[in-house]
Amino acid sequence: MESLAISLVKAVPVLGAAPLWAVTLLLMVASAVVILVFALTFEGVGSLVLRKVAGDIQARIGPNRVGPNGILQFLADGVKLVLKEDIIPANADRFLFKLAPYFVFVGSFAAFVVVPFGVGLTAADLNIGIYYVMAVTSLVVVGILLAGWASNNKWALLGGMRAAAQIVSYEVPVGMALIPAVLIAGSLSLQDIVRSQGGGLGIFGWNLFHNPFTFFSFFLYFTAAQAETNQTPFDLPEAESELVSGYNVEYSGIRFGLFFLAEFGDMFIVAALATACFLGGWQIPFFNAAALPPVWGNLLSLGVFLTKAFLMVLVMMWVRWTLPRLRVDQLMRMAWKYLVPLTFVNLLGVSLWLLVFKGKGIPGMIASLFG
Amino acid sequence: MGLKDYMNNIVEAVVTTAKGMRITARYGVDPKEEVTLQYPEERWEIPERYRGFLHNDIKKCTACTMCVKVCPVDCISLESVRGADKKMVLAFYDINIGRCMYCGLCVEACPVKSLKHTSGYEKASEVRGELILHFIEEDAAEIKARVARQVAEAAAKAAEAAKAAEAAKPAPLPSEAAKAAVVDPKPAKAEAAKGETKE
Repeated sequence: MESLAISLVKAVPVLGAAPLWAVTLLLMVASAVVILVFALTFEGVGSLVLRKVAGDIQARIGPNRVGPNGILQFLADGVKLVLKEDIIPANADRFLFKLAPYFVFVGSFAAFVVVPFGVGLTAADLNIGIYYVMAVTSLVVVGILLAGWASNNKWALLGGMRAAAQIVSYEVPVGMALIPAVLIAGSLSLQDIVRSQGGGLGIFGWNLFHNPFTFFSFFLYFTAAQAETNQTPFDLPEAESELVSGYNVEYSGIRFGLFFLAEFGDMFIVAALATACFLGGWQIPFFNAAALPPVWGNLLSLGVFLTKAFLMVLVMMWVRWTLPRLRVDQLMRMAWKYLVPLTFVNLLGVSLWLLVFKGKGIPGMIASLFG
Repeated sequence: MGLKDYMNNIVEAVVTTAKGMRITARYGVDPKEEVTLQYPEERWEIPERYRGFLHNDIKKCTACTMCVKVCPVDCISLESVRGADKKMVLAFYDINIGRCMYCGLCVEACPVKSLKHTSGYEKASEVRGELILHFIEEDAAEIKARVARQVAEAAAKAAEAAKAAEAAKPAPLPSEAAKAAVVDPKPAKAEAAKGETKE
Protein backbone atom coordinates (compact mmCIF):
# COMPACT_ATOMS: atom_id res chain seq x y z
CA MET A 1 0.00 0.00 0.00
CA GLU A 2 2.88 2.38 0.79
CA SER A 3 4.43 1.76 -2.60
CA LEU A 4 1.06 2.40 -4.22
CA ALA A 5 0.71 5.63 -2.26
CA ILE A 6 4.19 6.79 -3.32
CA SER A 7 3.51 6.00 -6.97
CA LEU A 8 0.15 7.77 -6.73
CA VAL A 9 1.77 10.90 -5.31
CA LYS A 10 4.39 10.73 -8.06
CA ALA A 11 1.72 10.39 -10.74
CA VAL A 12 -0.38 13.28 -9.44
CA PRO A 13 2.00 16.02 -8.22
CA VAL A 14 -0.86 18.04 -6.70
CA LEU A 15 -1.21 15.39 -4.00
CA GLY A 16 2.39 15.99 -2.90
CA ALA A 17 1.38 19.47 -1.74
CA ALA A 18 -1.60 18.15 0.24
CA PRO A 19 -1.14 17.42 3.95
CA LEU A 20 -0.29 13.87 4.95
CA TRP A 21 -3.59 13.21 6.70
CA ALA A 22 -5.55 14.17 3.58
CA VAL A 23 -3.56 11.78 1.39
CA THR A 24 -3.96 9.02 3.98
CA LEU A 25 -7.68 9.62 4.24
CA LEU A 26 -8.00 9.63 0.44
CA LEU A 27 -6.14 6.34 0.20
CA MET A 28 -8.21 4.81 2.97
CA VAL A 29 -11.48 5.78 1.33
CA ALA A 30 -10.25 4.71 -2.09
CA SER A 31 -9.11 1.26 -0.94
CA ALA A 32 -12.29 0.77 1.06
CA VAL A 33 -14.40 1.62 -2.00
CA VAL A 34 -12.35 -0.65 -4.26
CA ILE A 35 -12.62 -3.58 -1.87
CA LEU A 36 -16.31 -3.04 -1.29
CA VAL A 37 -17.01 -2.86 -5.02
CA PHE A 38 -14.95 -5.98 -5.61
CA ALA A 39 -16.73 -7.81 -2.81
CA LEU A 40 -20.19 -6.80 -4.05
CA THR A 41 -19.35 -7.80 -7.61
CA PHE A 42 -18.02 -11.11 -6.37
CA GLU A 43 -21.21 -11.63 -4.38
CA GLY A 44 -23.38 -10.96 -7.45
CA VAL A 45 -21.43 -13.08 -9.89
CA GLY A 46 -20.83 -15.68 -7.20
CA SER A 47 -24.53 -16.13 -6.53
CA LEU A 48 -25.16 -16.60 -10.24
CA VAL A 49 -22.31 -19.09 -10.62
CA LEU A 50 -23.49 -20.90 -7.49
CA ARG A 51 -26.92 -21.40 -8.98
CA LYS A 52 -25.55 -22.40 -12.37
CA VAL A 53 -23.22 -24.95 -10.76
CA ALA A 54 -26.15 -26.24 -8.71
CA GLY A 55 -28.12 -26.64 -11.92
CA ASP A 56 -25.33 -28.52 -13.67
CA ILE A 57 -24.74 -30.85 -10.76
CA GLN A 58 -28.44 -31.57 -10.31
CA ALA A 59 -28.94 -32.25 -14.04
CA ARG A 60 -30.99 -29.14 -14.70
CA ILE A 61 -30.30 -25.76 -16.31
CA GLY A 62 -30.39 -23.11 -13.61
CA PRO A 63 -31.39 -19.47 -14.08
CA ASN A 64 -31.68 -18.67 -17.80
CA ARG A 65 -34.46 -16.08 -18.13
CA VAL A 66 -32.94 -12.70 -17.23
CA GLY A 67 -30.56 -11.59 -19.94
CA PRO A 68 -28.74 -13.87 -22.38
CA ASN A 69 -28.37 -17.29 -20.74
CA GLY A 70 -29.42 -15.81 -17.40
CA ILE A 71 -26.25 -13.79 -16.80
CA LEU A 72 -28.19 -10.77 -15.52
CA GLN A 73 -30.03 -12.81 -12.90
CA PHE A 74 -27.89 -11.42 -10.08
CA LEU A 75 -28.91 -7.85 -10.98
CA ALA A 76 -32.57 -8.83 -10.76
CA ASP A 77 -31.92 -10.52 -7.42
CA GLY A 78 -30.08 -7.47 -6.12
CA VAL A 79 -32.80 -5.07 -7.21
CA LYS A 80 -35.38 -7.32 -5.57
CA LEU A 81 -33.44 -7.41 -2.30
CA VAL A 82 -33.11 -3.63 -2.21
CA LEU A 83 -36.71 -2.89 -3.12
CA LYS A 84 -38.38 -5.34 -0.75
CA GLU A 85 -40.06 -4.02 2.36
CA ASP A 86 -37.87 -3.92 5.44
CA ILE A 87 -40.01 -5.58 8.09
CA ILE A 88 -39.21 -5.54 11.80
CA PRO A 89 -41.39 -7.95 13.79
CA ALA A 90 -43.60 -6.30 16.39
CA ASN A 91 -42.10 -8.16 19.36
CA ALA A 92 -38.50 -7.97 18.20
CA ASP A 93 -35.82 -6.12 20.11
CA ARG A 94 -35.67 -3.27 17.61
CA PHE A 95 -32.21 -1.94 18.46
CA LEU A 96 -30.45 -5.32 18.45
CA PHE A 97 -32.46 -6.42 15.43
CA LYS A 98 -31.14 -3.47 13.44
CA LEU A 99 -27.62 -3.85 14.81
CA ALA A 100 -27.11 -7.55 14.05
CA PRO A 101 -26.67 -7.42 10.24
CA TYR A 102 -23.91 -4.83 10.58
CA PHE A 103 -21.89 -7.07 12.90
CA VAL A 104 -22.11 -9.93 10.44
CA PHE A 105 -21.36 -7.68 7.46
CA VAL A 106 -18.42 -5.92 9.10
CA GLY A 107 -17.02 -9.17 10.48
CA SER A 108 -16.99 -10.67 7.03
CA PHE A 109 -15.76 -7.67 5.06
CA ALA A 110 -13.08 -6.42 7.43
CA ALA A 111 -11.17 -9.60 6.60
CA PHE A 112 -10.77 -8.37 3.01
CA VAL A 113 -8.36 -5.74 4.29
CA VAL A 114 -5.41 -8.12 4.61
CA VAL A 115 -6.09 -10.35 1.60
CA PRO A 116 -2.91 -10.31 -0.55
CA PHE A 117 -4.44 -9.69 -3.97
CA GLY A 118 -1.09 -9.08 -5.66
CA VAL A 119 2.56 -8.13 -5.25
CA GLY A 120 1.68 -4.78 -3.70
CA LEU A 121 -2.09 -5.02 -3.70
CA THR A 122 -3.09 -5.25 -0.08
CA ALA A 123 -5.19 -2.64 1.65
CA ALA A 124 -3.07 -3.11 4.77
CA ASP A 125 -0.20 -5.57 5.05
CA LEU A 126 -0.61 -6.10 8.80
CA ASN A 127 2.18 -7.99 10.53
CA ILE A 128 -0.52 -9.92 12.42
CA GLY A 129 -2.48 -10.75 9.24
CA ILE A 130 -3.80 -14.24 10.00
CA TYR A 131 -4.41 -13.37 13.63
CA TYR A 132 -6.39 -10.33 12.48
CA VAL A 133 -8.54 -12.43 10.13
CA MET A 134 -9.30 -14.94 12.87
CA ALA A 135 -10.20 -12.17 15.29
CA VAL A 136 -12.33 -10.10 12.98
CA THR A 137 -14.33 -12.99 11.54
CA SER A 138 -15.31 -13.88 15.11
CA LEU A 139 -17.51 -10.78 15.06
CA VAL A 140 -19.83 -12.81 12.84
CA VAL A 141 -20.73 -14.99 15.84
CA VAL A 142 -21.90 -11.96 17.79
CA GLY A 143 -23.99 -10.75 14.87
CA ILE A 144 -25.62 -14.11 14.26
CA LEU A 145 -26.38 -14.64 17.93
CA LEU A 146 -27.81 -11.12 18.14
CA ALA A 147 -29.97 -11.74 15.07
CA GLY A 148 -31.29 -14.97 16.53
CA TRP A 149 -32.01 -13.40 19.91
CA ALA A 150 -33.50 -10.14 18.69
CA SER A 151 -35.88 -11.77 16.22
CA ASN A 152 -37.97 -13.21 19.09
CA ASN A 153 -38.54 -16.34 17.05
CA LYS A 154 -37.74 -19.86 18.18
CA TRP A 155 -36.29 -20.92 14.84
CA ALA A 156 -34.08 -17.87 14.71
CA LEU A 157 -32.89 -18.41 18.27
CA LEU A 158 -32.12 -22.08 17.65
CA GLY A 159 -30.21 -21.14 14.51
CA GLY A 160 -28.29 -18.45 16.36
CA MET A 161 -27.37 -20.81 19.19
CA ARG A 162 -26.20 -23.46 16.76
CA ALA A 163 -24.18 -20.92 14.81
CA ALA A 164 -22.46 -19.67 17.92
CA ALA A 165 -21.56 -23.19 19.06
CA GLN A 166 -20.39 -24.15 15.60
CA ILE A 167 -18.30 -21.09 14.79
CA VAL A 168 -16.61 -21.03 18.17
CA SER A 169 -15.83 -24.75 17.94
CA TYR A 170 -14.46 -24.67 14.43
CA GLU A 171 -12.33 -21.60 14.99
CA VAL A 172 -9.92 -23.85 16.91
CA PRO A 173 -9.11 -26.26 14.05
CA VAL A 174 -9.09 -23.42 11.50
CA GLY A 175 -6.45 -21.53 13.43
CA MET A 176 -4.54 -24.71 14.14
CA ALA A 177 -4.53 -25.71 10.47
CA LEU A 178 -3.25 -22.30 9.35
CA ILE A 179 -0.31 -22.23 11.76
CA PRO A 180 1.92 -24.56 9.63
CA ALA A 181 2.01 -21.86 6.94
CA VAL A 182 2.94 -19.32 9.60
CA LEU A 183 5.68 -21.60 10.92
CA ILE A 184 7.20 -22.08 7.48
CA ALA A 185 7.13 -18.38 6.62
CA GLY A 186 8.11 -17.26 10.11
CA SER A 187 5.57 -14.45 9.91
CA LEU A 188 1.87 -13.86 10.49
CA SER A 189 1.67 -11.39 7.62
CA LEU A 190 -0.14 -12.87 4.62
CA GLN A 191 2.23 -11.13 2.20
CA ASP A 192 5.24 -12.70 3.89
CA ILE A 193 3.55 -16.10 3.79
CA VAL A 194 2.93 -15.72 0.04
CA ARG A 195 6.50 -14.52 -0.57
CA SER A 196 7.89 -17.54 1.28
CA GLN A 197 6.26 -19.81 -1.32
CA GLY A 198 8.07 -18.34 -4.34
CA GLY A 199 11.44 -19.37 -5.67
CA GLY A 200 12.64 -21.68 -8.41
CA LEU A 201 10.62 -24.73 -7.41
CA GLY A 202 7.45 -23.73 -9.26
CA ILE A 203 4.29 -25.17 -7.79
CA PHE A 204 6.43 -27.41 -5.56
CA GLY A 205 7.45 -24.33 -3.66
CA TRP A 206 3.89 -24.04 -2.39
CA ASN A 207 3.21 -24.90 1.21
CA LEU A 208 0.81 -27.59 0.01
CA PHE A 209 3.77 -29.72 -1.15
CA HIS A 210 6.21 -28.65 1.53
CA ASN A 211 5.84 -31.85 3.53
CA PRO A 212 3.11 -34.47 4.15
CA PHE A 213 1.81 -32.63 7.20
CA THR A 214 1.15 -29.39 5.33
CA PHE A 215 -0.58 -31.39 2.62
CA PHE A 216 -3.06 -32.77 5.17
CA SER A 217 -3.20 -29.40 6.83
CA PHE A 218 -4.64 -27.86 3.68
CA PHE A 219 -7.54 -30.30 3.58
CA LEU A 220 -8.15 -29.98 7.30
CA TYR A 221 -8.21 -26.20 6.94
CA PHE A 222 -10.58 -26.37 4.01
CA THR A 223 -13.01 -28.63 5.84
CA ALA A 224 -12.92 -26.67 9.07
CA ALA A 225 -13.20 -23.32 7.29
CA GLN A 226 -16.30 -24.46 5.43
CA ALA A 227 -17.83 -25.33 8.76
CA GLU A 228 -16.74 -22.06 10.31
CA THR A 229 -18.43 -20.03 7.57
CA ASN A 230 -21.64 -22.11 7.64
CA GLN A 231 -21.24 -23.53 4.15
CA THR A 232 -23.68 -26.22 3.17
CA PRO A 233 -22.52 -29.54 4.54
CA PHE A 234 -22.30 -27.69 7.84
CA ASP A 235 -25.08 -25.12 7.37
CA LEU A 236 -26.95 -26.06 10.53
CA PRO A 237 -27.59 -22.44 11.53
CA GLU A 238 -29.68 -22.08 8.36
CA ALA A 239 -30.88 -25.63 7.79
CA GLU A 240 -33.93 -24.79 5.68
CA SER A 241 -35.57 -28.14 6.27
CA GLU A 242 -35.33 -27.93 10.06
CA LEU A 243 -35.17 -24.26 11.02
CA VAL A 244 -36.94 -22.62 8.06
CA SER A 245 -34.00 -20.30 7.45
CA GLY A 246 -32.37 -20.12 10.87
CA TYR A 247 -31.11 -16.90 12.40
CA ASN A 248 -32.18 -14.70 9.46
CA VAL A 249 -35.76 -15.97 9.17
CA GLU A 250 -37.34 -12.70 10.35
CA TYR A 251 -35.14 -10.49 8.19
CA SER A 252 -36.22 -9.09 4.86
CA GLY A 253 -35.14 -6.58 2.27
CA ILE A 254 -31.68 -5.06 2.52
CA ARG A 255 -31.06 -6.38 6.03
CA PHE A 256 -31.42 -9.93 4.75
CA GLY A 257 -29.22 -8.84 1.85
CA LEU A 258 -26.43 -7.97 4.28
CA PHE A 259 -26.49 -11.51 5.72
CA PHE A 260 -26.45 -12.86 2.20
CA LEU A 261 -23.51 -10.65 1.22
CA ALA A 262 -21.60 -11.68 4.32
CA GLU A 263 -22.06 -15.34 3.45
CA PHE A 264 -20.44 -14.86 0.05
CA GLY A 265 -17.78 -12.63 1.57
CA ASP A 266 -16.91 -15.45 3.97
CA MET A 267 -16.74 -17.82 1.06
CA PHE A 268 -14.18 -15.65 -0.71
CA ILE A 269 -12.16 -15.14 2.48
CA VAL A 270 -11.90 -18.90 3.00
CA ALA A 271 -10.81 -19.40 -0.59
CA ALA A 272 -8.36 -16.48 -0.40
CA LEU A 273 -6.76 -17.74 2.82
CA ALA A 274 -6.44 -21.25 1.42
CA THR A 275 -4.80 -19.77 -1.68
CA ALA A 276 -2.46 -17.49 0.22
CA CYS A 277 -1.41 -20.00 2.87
CA PHE A 278 -1.18 -23.22 0.89
CA LEU A 279 -1.49 -22.61 -2.86
CA GLY A 280 1.20 -20.00 -3.31
CA GLY A 281 -1.05 -16.91 -3.30
CA TRP A 282 -0.14 -14.63 -6.21
CA GLN A 283 3.07 -16.52 -6.99
CA ILE A 284 3.32 -17.53 -10.64
CA PRO A 285 5.26 -20.79 -11.10
CA PHE A 286 8.84 -20.24 -12.38
CA PHE A 287 8.25 -16.51 -12.72
CA ASN A 288 9.02 -13.66 -10.40
CA ALA A 289 6.12 -11.22 -10.61
CA ALA A 290 7.72 -8.91 -8.04
CA ALA A 291 10.59 -8.17 -10.45
CA LEU A 292 8.29 -6.75 -13.14
CA PRO A 293 7.40 -3.04 -13.31
CA PRO A 294 4.77 -2.38 -10.58
CA VAL A 295 1.76 -2.02 -12.87
CA TRP A 296 2.30 -5.23 -14.84
CA GLY A 297 3.50 -7.20 -11.84
CA ASN A 298 0.46 -6.20 -9.84
CA LEU A 299 -1.99 -6.93 -12.65
CA LEU A 300 -0.44 -10.31 -13.42
CA SER A 301 -0.27 -11.39 -9.79
CA LEU A 302 -3.83 -10.14 -9.22
CA GLY A 303 -5.03 -12.30 -12.10
CA VAL A 304 -3.19 -15.36 -10.80
CA PHE A 305 -4.45 -14.87 -7.26
CA LEU A 306 -8.05 -14.40 -8.37
CA THR A 307 -7.90 -17.45 -10.63
CA LYS A 308 -6.69 -19.64 -7.79
CA ALA A 309 -9.19 -18.18 -5.33
CA PHE A 310 -12.12 -18.58 -7.72
CA LEU A 311 -11.14 -22.17 -8.39
CA MET A 312 -11.25 -22.75 -4.64
CA VAL A 313 -14.68 -21.09 -4.54
CA LEU A 314 -15.83 -23.44 -7.29
CA VAL A 315 -14.62 -26.41 -5.26
CA MET A 316 -16.57 -25.06 -2.28
CA MET A 317 -19.70 -24.87 -4.44
CA TRP A 318 -19.06 -28.39 -5.67
CA VAL A 319 -18.83 -29.63 -2.06
CA ARG A 320 -21.91 -27.63 -1.21
CA TRP A 321 -24.08 -29.38 -3.79
CA THR A 322 -22.69 -32.82 -3.04
CA LEU A 323 -22.68 -33.54 0.65
CA PRO A 324 -25.76 -33.84 2.85
CA ARG A 325 -26.09 -31.78 6.03
CA LEU A 326 -24.67 -33.17 9.28
CA ARG A 327 -26.59 -33.53 12.50
CA VAL A 328 -25.71 -31.21 15.40
CA ASP A 329 -24.06 -33.93 17.47
CA GLN A 330 -22.16 -35.20 14.42
CA LEU A 331 -20.95 -31.69 13.74
CA MET A 332 -19.68 -31.22 17.26
CA ARG A 333 -18.10 -34.66 17.29
CA MET A 334 -16.34 -33.91 14.03
CA ALA A 335 -14.91 -30.67 15.43
CA TRP A 336 -13.74 -31.85 18.85
CA LYS A 337 -13.00 -35.52 18.29
CA TYR A 338 -11.54 -35.45 14.80
CA LEU A 339 -10.49 -32.06 13.50
CA VAL A 340 -8.98 -30.65 16.68
CA PRO A 341 -6.78 -33.70 17.45
CA LEU A 342 -5.79 -34.10 13.82
CA THR A 343 -4.79 -30.47 13.42
CA PHE A 344 -2.83 -30.74 16.67
CA VAL A 345 -0.95 -33.77 15.38
CA ASN A 346 -0.33 -31.93 12.11
CA LEU A 347 0.98 -28.89 13.90
CA LEU A 348 3.34 -31.03 15.97
CA GLY A 349 4.44 -32.86 12.84
CA VAL A 350 5.19 -29.65 10.94
CA SER A 351 7.04 -28.22 13.90
CA LEU A 352 9.19 -31.35 14.25
CA TRP A 353 9.83 -31.44 10.52
CA LEU A 354 11.02 -27.86 10.49
CA LEU A 355 13.21 -28.54 13.52
CA VAL A 356 14.74 -31.75 12.14
CA PHE A 357 15.21 -30.71 8.51
CA LYS A 358 16.14 -27.08 9.26
CA GLY A 359 13.05 -25.64 7.55
CA LYS A 360 13.50 -27.48 4.25
CA GLY A 361 10.57 -29.17 2.52
CA ILE A 362 10.61 -32.40 0.50
CA PRO A 363 10.78 -30.64 -2.91
CA GLY A 364 13.61 -28.46 -1.62
CA MET A 365 15.57 -31.49 -0.47
CA ILE A 366 15.06 -33.28 -3.78
CA ALA A 367 16.16 -30.14 -5.63
CA SER A 368 19.32 -29.86 -3.50
CA LEU A 369 20.08 -33.54 -4.21
CA PHE A 370 20.26 -32.72 -7.91
CA GLY A 371 22.17 -29.56 -7.21
CA MET B 1 -13.77 -46.57 20.47
CA GLY B 2 -10.27 -47.78 19.86
CA LEU B 3 -7.65 -46.17 17.68
CA LYS B 4 -8.40 -48.63 14.90
CA ASP B 5 -12.06 -47.58 14.76
CA TYR B 6 -11.00 -43.96 14.89
CA MET B 7 -8.69 -44.34 11.90
CA ASN B 8 -11.31 -46.39 10.05
CA ASN B 9 -13.82 -43.59 10.59
CA ILE B 10 -11.47 -41.04 9.08
CA VAL B 11 -10.70 -43.24 6.08
CA GLU B 12 -14.38 -43.98 5.56
CA ALA B 13 -15.26 -40.28 5.70
CA VAL B 14 -12.63 -39.45 3.09
CA VAL B 15 -13.58 -42.33 0.80
CA THR B 16 -17.32 -41.71 0.89
CA THR B 17 -16.86 -37.98 0.37
CA ALA B 18 -14.62 -38.63 -2.62
CA LYS B 19 -17.20 -41.02 -4.04
CA GLY B 20 -19.97 -38.46 -3.77
CA MET B 21 -17.81 -35.71 -5.20
CA ARG B 22 -16.94 -37.88 -8.17
CA ILE B 23 -20.61 -38.51 -8.93
CA THR B 24 -21.59 -34.85 -8.78
CA ALA B 25 -18.54 -33.89 -10.82
CA ARG B 26 -19.66 -36.26 -13.55
CA TYR B 27 -23.12 -34.74 -13.58
CA GLY B 28 -21.67 -31.25 -13.45
CA VAL B 29 -19.36 -31.76 -16.40
CA ASP B 30 -21.63 -33.81 -18.66
CA PRO B 31 -24.05 -31.45 -20.42
CA LYS B 32 -26.13 -34.34 -21.76
CA GLU B 33 -27.44 -35.05 -18.28
CA GLU B 34 -29.75 -32.01 -18.35
CA VAL B 35 -33.33 -33.22 -18.10
CA THR B 36 -35.11 -29.86 -17.88
CA LEU B 37 -37.65 -29.17 -20.62
CA GLN B 38 -38.10 -25.48 -21.40
CA TYR B 39 -41.87 -25.83 -21.38
CA PRO B 40 -43.43 -23.00 -23.35
CA GLU B 41 -40.75 -23.29 -26.05
CA GLU B 42 -40.30 -27.06 -25.97
CA ARG B 43 -43.08 -29.59 -25.52
CA TRP B 44 -43.51 -33.18 -24.60
CA GLU B 45 -44.50 -35.67 -27.26
CA ILE B 46 -48.09 -36.58 -26.46
CA PRO B 47 -48.73 -40.34 -26.25
CA GLU B 48 -51.15 -41.79 -28.76
CA ARG B 49 -53.83 -42.63 -26.20
CA TYR B 50 -53.39 -39.49 -24.14
CA ARG B 51 -56.60 -38.41 -22.41
CA GLY B 52 -56.76 -34.68 -22.92
CA PHE B 53 -59.80 -32.43 -23.08
CA LEU B 54 -63.04 -33.99 -24.34
CA HIS B 55 -64.40 -33.02 -27.72
CA ASN B 56 -67.84 -33.84 -29.03
CA ASP B 57 -68.49 -33.96 -32.75
CA ILE B 58 -72.03 -32.62 -32.58
CA LYS B 59 -72.82 -33.52 -36.18
CA LYS B 60 -72.53 -37.17 -35.20
CA CYS B 61 -74.03 -36.84 -31.73
CA THR B 62 -77.49 -38.35 -31.32
CA ALA B 63 -78.15 -36.81 -27.90
CA CYS B 64 -78.60 -40.28 -26.44
CA THR B 65 -77.41 -38.97 -22.98
CA MET B 66 -75.30 -42.07 -22.38
CA CYS B 67 -72.31 -39.86 -21.57
CA VAL B 68 -74.31 -37.82 -19.09
CA LYS B 69 -75.52 -40.95 -17.33
CA VAL B 70 -72.12 -42.62 -17.14
CA CYS B 71 -70.13 -39.58 -16.00
CA PRO B 72 -69.09 -40.15 -12.35
CA VAL B 73 -68.57 -36.48 -11.62
CA ASP B 74 -71.50 -35.04 -13.59
CA CYS B 75 -69.38 -32.77 -15.73
CA ILE B 76 -71.38 -33.25 -18.93
CA SER B 77 -74.76 -31.57 -19.31
CA LEU B 78 -77.00 -31.50 -22.34
CA GLU B 79 -80.54 -30.70 -23.29
CA SER B 80 -82.30 -31.83 -26.42
CA VAL B 81 -85.69 -31.48 -28.06
CA ARG B 82 -87.49 -33.81 -30.47
CA GLY B 83 -87.23 -32.45 -33.97
CA ALA B 84 -89.71 -32.49 -36.83
CA ASP B 85 -88.23 -35.74 -38.15
CA LYS B 86 -88.70 -37.47 -34.76
CA LYS B 87 -84.92 -37.22 -34.09
CA MET B 88 -83.42 -35.52 -31.04
CA VAL B 89 -81.90 -32.10 -31.66
CA LEU B 90 -79.28 -30.80 -29.19
CA ALA B 91 -80.19 -27.48 -27.60
CA PHE B 92 -76.88 -27.28 -25.72
CA TYR B 93 -74.00 -29.63 -24.94
CA ASP B 94 -71.55 -28.43 -22.23
CA ILE B 95 -68.56 -30.15 -20.63
CA ASN B 96 -67.14 -28.65 -17.44
CA ILE B 97 -63.48 -29.55 -17.81
CA GLY B 98 -62.78 -28.02 -14.44
CA ARG B 99 -64.69 -30.93 -13.00
CA CYS B 100 -63.72 -33.63 -15.47
CA MET B 101 -61.34 -36.26 -14.09
CA TYR B 102 -60.42 -37.69 -17.50
CA CYS B 103 -61.60 -41.20 -16.67
CA GLY B 104 -62.69 -41.82 -20.24
CA LEU B 105 -65.97 -43.59 -19.35
CA CYS B 106 -68.03 -41.24 -21.52
CA VAL B 107 -65.83 -41.94 -24.53
CA GLU B 108 -66.30 -45.68 -23.98
CA ALA B 109 -70.04 -45.28 -23.57
CA CYS B 110 -70.62 -43.15 -26.65
CA PRO B 111 -72.49 -45.38 -29.16
CA VAL B 112 -71.77 -43.25 -32.24
CA LYS B 113 -68.15 -42.44 -31.30
CA SER B 114 -68.78 -38.71 -31.46
CA LEU B 115 -67.15 -38.04 -28.06
CA LYS B 116 -63.36 -38.23 -28.10
CA HIS B 117 -60.36 -37.27 -26.00
CA THR B 118 -58.14 -34.72 -27.72
CA SER B 119 -54.48 -34.07 -26.88
CA GLY B 120 -55.20 -30.64 -25.42
CA TYR B 121 -54.04 -29.89 -21.89
CA GLU B 122 -53.56 -26.12 -21.71
CA LYS B 123 -56.52 -24.20 -20.41
CA ALA B 124 -55.54 -22.00 -17.50
CA SER B 125 -57.98 -19.20 -16.88
CA GLU B 126 -58.82 -16.67 -14.23
CA VAL B 127 -62.56 -17.23 -14.45
CA ARG B 128 -64.10 -20.58 -13.71
CA GLY B 129 -66.77 -20.08 -16.37
CA GLU B 130 -64.10 -20.30 -19.03
CA LEU B 131 -63.53 -23.92 -18.06
CA ILE B 132 -66.97 -24.90 -19.37
CA LEU B 133 -66.70 -25.94 -23.00
CA HIS B 134 -69.75 -25.07 -25.10
CA PHE B 135 -70.00 -27.29 -28.16
CA ILE B 136 -73.06 -25.54 -29.62
CA GLU B 137 -72.55 -21.89 -30.23
CA GLU B 138 -76.17 -21.04 -30.94
CA ASP B 139 -78.37 -20.03 -28.05
CA ALA B 140 -80.33 -22.91 -26.56
CA ALA B 141 -83.60 -20.94 -26.46
CA GLU B 142 -83.28 -20.05 -30.15
CA ILE B 143 -82.70 -23.66 -31.10
CA LYS B 144 -85.72 -24.72 -29.09
CA ALA B 145 -87.88 -22.05 -30.68
CA ARG B 146 -86.69 -22.95 -34.17
CA VAL B 147 -87.27 -26.66 -33.63
CA ALA B 148 -90.70 -25.96 -32.17
CA ARG B 149 -91.52 -23.86 -35.23
CA GLN B 150 -90.33 -26.62 -37.56
CA VAL B 151 -92.35 -29.18 -35.62
CA ALA B 152 -95.40 -26.96 -35.84
CA GLU B 153 -94.89 -26.44 -39.59
CA ALA B 154 -94.46 -30.14 -40.13
CA ALA B 155 -97.57 -30.82 -38.11
CA ALA B 156 -99.48 -28.24 -40.15
CA LYS B 157 -98.21 -29.78 -43.38
CA ALA B 158 -99.16 -33.23 -42.18
CA ALA B 159 -102.59 -31.99 -41.27
CA GLU B 160 -102.99 -30.36 -44.70
CA ALA B 161 -101.83 -33.51 -46.41
CA ALA B 162 -104.23 -35.53 -44.35
CA LYS B 163 -107.01 -33.12 -45.27
CA ALA B 164 -106.07 -33.31 -48.94
CA ALA B 165 -106.01 -37.07 -48.75
CA GLU B 166 -109.37 -36.98 -47.05
CA ALA B 167 -110.71 -34.76 -49.83
CA ALA B 168 -109.19 -36.85 -52.60
CA LYS B 169 -110.32 -40.14 -51.15
CA PRO B 170 -113.84 -40.30 -52.55
CA ALA B 171 -112.75 -39.49 -56.15
CA PRO B 172 -110.72 -42.58 -57.12
CA LEU B 173 -112.56 -45.86 -56.88
CA PRO B 174 -111.24 -48.39 -54.40
CA SER B 175 -110.76 -50.89 -57.20
CA GLU B 176 -108.73 -48.36 -59.21
CA ALA B 177 -106.48 -47.61 -56.29
CA ALA B 178 -105.94 -51.31 -55.75
CA LYS B 179 -105.19 -51.70 -59.43
CA ALA B 180 -102.66 -48.89 -59.34
CA ALA B 181 -100.97 -50.55 -56.36
CA VAL B 182 -100.85 -53.84 -58.17
CA VAL B 183 -99.78 -52.34 -61.49
CA ASP B 184 -96.98 -50.15 -60.22
CA PRO B 185 -95.56 -51.18 -56.83
CA LYS B 186 -92.04 -49.86 -57.54
CA PRO B 187 -92.52 -46.08 -57.18
CA ALA B 188 -94.33 -46.62 -53.90
CA LYS B 189 -91.46 -48.71 -52.59
CA ALA B 190 -88.91 -46.20 -53.82
CA GLU B 191 -90.86 -43.46 -52.10
CA ALA B 192 -90.87 -45.43 -48.88
CA ALA B 193 -87.13 -46.02 -49.17
CA LYS B 194 -86.60 -42.33 -49.87
CA GLY B 195 -88.53 -41.45 -46.79
CA GLU B 196 -86.40 -43.76 -44.70
CA THR B 197 -83.15 -42.33 -45.88
CA LYS B 198 -84.53 -38.88 -45.30
CA GLU B 199 -85.24 -39.78 -41.76
